[in-house]
Amino acid sequence: MFILTLPLNKHSVHVFTTGVEEEVSTLQEESERGGHRGKRRDSDRERKRRRKGRGKVASKDSGEGEEELQRRLEKRERARRKRAKKEQEVQGRERNEEEQAEMTSGKRANTRKNIKNDKTRKMEEGEGEGEAGERNTKRKKKHGSAKNDGKEEDGGEHTVKEKVQEVKKKKHEKTSEEANEAAAEEDTQEEEVRPESLSPEELEKLKEAVDERKKLIQSLRGKPWPMKKKLVTLRESQEFVEKYEGALGKGKGRKLYAYKVMMTKKWMKFQRDFENFKTACIPWEMKIKEIESHFGSSVASYFIFLRWMYGINLILFGLTFGLVMVPEALMGRPYGSIPRKTVPRAEETSAMDFAVLWDCGGYAQYSVLFYGFYNNQRAVGWLKFRMPLSYFLVGVGTVAYSYMVVIRTMARNANESGVGDDNSFNFSWKMFTSWDYLIGNPETADNKFASITTSFKEAILEEQESRKDDNIHLTRFLRVLANFLVLCCLAGSGYLIYFVVRRSQKFALDGLENHTWWERNEVNMVMSLLGMFCPMLFDVISALENYHPRVALQWQLGRIFALFLGNLYTFIIALMDEINLKREEEKIIKFNITMWETSLYNGTVSENSTAPPVTIQPADVPRGPCWETMVGQEFVRLIISDTMTTYIMLLIGDFLRAVLVRFLNYCWCWDLEAGFPSYSEFDVSGNVLGLIFNQGMIWMGAFYAPCLPALNVLRLHVSMYLQCWAVMCCNVPQERVFKASGSNNFYMAMLLVILFLSTLPAIYTIVTIPPSFDCGPFSGKKRMFDVIQETLESDFPAWFSKVFSYASNPGLVLPFILLMVLAIYYLQSTSKSYKEANVELKKKLHAQNEENKKKNKRAALKAQMDLEEARTAQGAAQQQESETFQF
Amino acid sequence: MVSPAIALAFIPLLLTLLIRYRYYFVLFYRAILVRIWKDCVTGLSREERAYQYVLTTATPGDPDSILDAFDVWCNKVEFISNIGPKKGKILDRMLMEQGPLTVLELGAHCGYSTVRIARALPLGARLYSVEMDQRNAAIAEKIVRLAGFDDDTVELIVNPSDEVIPRLRSDYGLDRLDFVFMDHWKKSYCPDLQMLEGSGLLGKGSMIVADNVLFPGAPKFLRHIRKSGLYEWKIHRATLEYSKGIRDGMAELVYQGIK
Repeated sequence: MFILTLPLNKHSVHVFTTGVEEEVSTLQEESERGGHRGKRRDSDRERKRRRKGRGKVASKDSGEGEEELQRRLEKRERARRKRAKKEQEVQGRERNEEEQAEMTSGKRANTRKNIKNDKTRKMEEGEGEGEAGERNTKRKKKHGSAKNDGKEEDGGEHTVKEKVQEVKKKKHEKTSEEANEAAAEEDTQEEEVRPESLSPEELEKLKEAVDERKKLIQSLRGKPWPMKKKLVTLRESQEFVEKYEGALGKGKGRKLYAYKVMMTKKWMKFQRDFENFKTACIPWEMKIKEIESHFGSSVASYFIFLRWMYGINLILFGLTFGLVMVPEALMGRPYGSIPRKTVPRAEETSAMDFAVLWDCGGYAQYSVLFYGFYNNQRAVGWLKFRMPLSYFLVGVGTVAYSYMVVIRTMARNANESGVGDDNSFNFSWKMFTSWDYLIGNPETADNKFASITTSFKEAILEEQESRKDDNIHLTRFLRVLANFLVLCCLAGSGYLIYFVVRRSQKFALDGLENHTWWERNEVNMVMSLLGMFCPMLFDVISALENYHPRVALQWQLGRIFALFLGNLYTFIIALMDEINLKREEEKIIKFNITMWETSLYNGTVSENSTAPPVTIQPADVPRGPCWETMVGQEFVRLIISDTMTTYIMLLIGDFLRAVLVRFLNYCWCWDLEAGFPSYSEFDVSGNVLGLIFNQGMIWMGAFYAPCLPALNVLRLHVSMYLQCWAVMCCNVPQERVFKASGSNNFYMAMLLVILFLSTLPAIYTIVTIPPSFDCGPFSGKKRMFDVIQETLESDFPAWFSKVFSYASNPGLVLPFILLMVLAIYYLQSTSKSYKEANVELKKKLHAQNEENKKKNKRAALKAQMDLEEARTAQGAAQQQESETFQF
Repeated sequence: MVSPAIALAFIPLLLTLLIRYRYYFVLFYRAILVRIWKDCVTGLSREERAYQYVLTTATPGDPDSILDAFDVWCNKVEFISNIGPKKGKILDRMLMEQGPLTVLELGAHCGYSTVRIARALPLGARLYSVEMDQRNAAIAEKIVRLAGFDDDTVELIVNPSDEVIPRLRSDYGLDRLDFVFMDHWKKSYCPDLQMLEGSGLLGKGSMIVADNVLFPGAPKFLRHIRKSGLYEWKIHRATLEYSKGIRDGMAELVYQGIK
C-alpha cells in the first residue's frame, strides 16, 4: 500500500493550476487506459507533450467541444455528490472507523490489481516517481475541478471524504481503471484534508510524507537527475511541505504549531530580506559586481581593495576630524588671536591667491589643516579638552589601528586561502579549475577561453621545454640581463629624484617666487612621472625573461615596489635635509626674536613705565620656520600632484585613447581597435601599488597634516567613481584573465610592509627631533611625547604616575618583552603543529575518499547489474502480460 | 619653460614605446622608407624589382622555387605583403582539403598567392585572379606564366573587384564559386563579400578565405560575418608575413546559406 501511495503523495501538488482542458483530456485518456495499461510509458510521453502544450491550450480552454464534455462531467459529479450526501445523513457521524476499514479494503483490491505495475514502478524508481506523479496529477486535476463544483453546491462544508466513500461504494461495479481512480482519490483526500477530520493514522501518514519531502529537498542536490526534473521536484516538494506542515500537530497544539511554523517562515523571509538589504547597503557592491562580470575577478579585486582602503581611511578621518580638527576649530583660540594662528604681515597680500592656496600656503597653512596652527594650551574649551594629548594619541592611534586592521585582515585571509600546490597536477588544475565563473560578458568569456587555450599551449610547450632543457644558458643570460637593465633603470630614477630634490633646495634658498611653476613643482612631477613610466619599462623588459605569467607578475610587483620605495625614501631623505636646514634657521630666528623682544620691552619701559605694554598685532610678530608644517605641506602637495597625475593619465591614456581609437577607426588605414594602439587594459598591479604607496604617504604625513586623511577619503571616493567609469567605458578585458584568489593577501603583505616603512620615519622624527618652539601643540616641550609625561603628572593621581614610572623601569620592561617574545614563539610553534595536524587529517580524508569512491564504484556496478536483471525480468513480465491480453 | 629633469622623466616612456612597438617601427622602415628610397634610386617599382630578382634566381616552371625566391626577397631585401610562407601553408591545407574546382582570387598583386593557389589546385580546376593595377597585373601574368600555369588554369582579370564580381556570371559563365581568396584592399573586403552573397555564386560549402583581417585589419568585414549568420567561420591566428611580432589573422569562412 505504502509503496503505492507514498510516491504518489510526492506529486500531489499542481492540481489547481491546470485548466478544464486538462480534465477533458484526462477523461479521454482514462477511457483509453483500459487498452493501454502495459504501455504506461507511452502515455507518459504523451502526457509530457501535452504538458508542454498546456500553455497554448489553456488560453483557449473555452473550446466548444470541451465545454460540452465538461458540462456532462459536471452533471455526473453533481449527481454523485447528492447521493453521497443522502448516504451521509443516513449513516451519521460514527463513520470514520468504518470508512477506514473500507478504505484499506478498497486499497487492497486496488493494490492487487496494480500489482504488476507496482513492480515496474519500483524498479524504475528514478523515473517511476515522475511517472506516478504525472498519473496522479492527472487524476487530481479531474478531482480538483470536481471538488470545486462540490464546494459551489454544498457551501464548501462537504469534503472529499464523502466523495471517497461514494466512489468506494461504486467500486465493485467499476472496472479496474476506476479502482485506480479511487486510489487517486485517496491521495486527493490528503490534499484537501482538513486537519480536524483526520484520524491519527492519517496524520501519521501525512507526517511521514512531509518528512519524506523534507528529506527529498535536502538530498535533492546529490541526486543524479537532470536539472529540469530537480527543479520541478523541488518546487513541488516545497509547496507540499508548505501546505501540510501546518496541518500537523494535535488538538489545541495544532493551531499553535501552525502559527509557529508560519512565524518561522516569516522570520526566515525577513532574514533573507534583511540579508539582501545588507548587501544593498554595501557601498558600490553593484558596481564592483558588474566590473567583475566584465573583467574577471582580478580587476574586481582591485576595486574591493580600494573599497576596503576607503573604509579604513574613513575611520582615520573620523579620528582626526572628530578628536583633533573640530575641537581645535570650535574650542581653541580663534584665528588671528596669536601669532601662530595668523598669516604674517608679509604674506597677507597674497594669502588668498589661488596659486598660494594650491601650494598649501597662505590661509590654508594657517588653519586647522596643518600642525603649526594648533596651540600648546593644555586644555581647551569648557570641556577641558586636552588638545595636545589628544593630538598625540590620535597620531599614535591611527597608526596602531592601521596595524591592527591590516594584521587582522591578513590573518583572516590566511585562513581562507586554500592549500594545494600549483606544481603537481598542472594539467588537471588547468582542465578543471581555469574557468572564472563570475564572468558574465561574452567578450571576456571569449578572452578567457582564448587565454585558457593559450595557457594549455604554453603549458605543453613548457613541459616539452623542461624535457629538452637545451638553451638554459641563454635564458639565464637573458634573465640576468633583464635584472641588470631594471637595476640601471632604478638607479637612474633614484638619481634623477635626488638631483631634482637638490635643485629644489637650491630654488628654495633663492626664493621660490623667482622660479616658474614647473620648477617649483619639479619634485612631485618627476616622482609621479617616474612612478608611472618606469613600471611600463619594467613590463617590457620582463618579456625578455620568459617567466610564467604568475611569476612574472610577482617580479613585476617586486620591481615596482622597489621603485616606489626608492622614490619615497629619496624624498624622505631630502625632506630630512630640509628639516635640518629649517632647524638651523629656527635657531637663528629664535635668537633674533629674543633680541627683538628685549628691544621691544626695553623701548616701552624706557618710554613710559606706567602705560600698559604696547599691543603688537600677532601678524607682526616674527616667527620660526616651523618644520612640521613644512613636512605636512610637502606631503599634501605630493598627494595632490599624485592624484592629479593619476587622473590626468586616466583621462589621456585611457579615455582620450579610447575616443581616438573608436572614432578614428572609421577613417584609418588599419584596424585601430584590433591592432596597434587598441584600447588600454586595466593595470591591476600598478594600480594596487599606487594605492598602497598613496596610503603609505598618508600614514607618514598624517601626524603633521591632520587634513591628509580627509584628503585621502576624498581622493579614494573620486577614484572609485572615476575608475569604475573608466574601466567600464574605455578599457578592454585583459588578454590574460587570471584569477585573483590568493593575491589579496599578497596586497595585504605589501601594505603591511609599507605601513612599517612609512611609520618608521614618522616615529623617528617624533622621537628624535625636538618640536618647533613657536608652533604646534607641543611647542615649548623638549620632545613631543613629553605630553604623556605631563598628563600623567598633572591629571592623574600621584600614585598612578608612580606606578607608571615603576612600570616603565627597564627592569620591568625587559622581562615583559622577553615574555612576549616567548609567548609569540609558543603560539607560532603551536600553530605550526596544528598546521601539520591539518595536513595529516587532510591526507586521511583523502584516503578515506578514495576508499569511498572504490566502494561506491563497486556498489554502482552491482546496482547496474541488478538493474539489467530487473529490466530483463520486466521485459519478460510485459511480454507475459501482453500475451494474457491477447488471450 | 619645462625643466630638463621633467623631460628626463619621460625617457622611460620613450624607451617603453620603442621596445614595445619595435616590430611596427621595423615594418615602417622596411615597407615604406626602404621602398621610397629604392624607388628613387632604381626608378623601378617594388614589384618590378621583385620580378627581376625572381627571374634571376628561380627555376622557370617550378612554382616552389619561385615561391622560395619571393620569400627570400621579402625577408631579406624588401617587404611585399604577400601571404607569406606560414599563412601560405594554412592556405595550402585548406585548398587540399576542399579540392575546389572554381577559385576566385581577389588581389593578385604580383602573383605570389596566385602561384600558391594554382599549385595546390586539383586537375581541371580553374583560378580567376582579379587585379586592379595594370603594372602589377602585368608582373603577375609574367610570374604565373613563369611558374608554368597556362591560360586554362589561371585567368587574370585586370579590373577592380567591385566591377568584376557582378559580371562573373555573365562574362565568365560561372555559376558557383568553390573557393574565394581575398587579399586586396582591406576596405573592400566587406562590400565585395556582400556583392558575392548577392550574386548567388556562393553555394553551401563554398569557402572564403580572407588574409590580414587583424593587421592591417578589416573590422567591418569581421563585424559583417559575425552578424550575418551566413557563415561558419574561424580566424587562424598567425603573425604578419615576414615579421615576427605583429599579430595577424586569416579568416576562414564556410558559406552555409540562409537557414
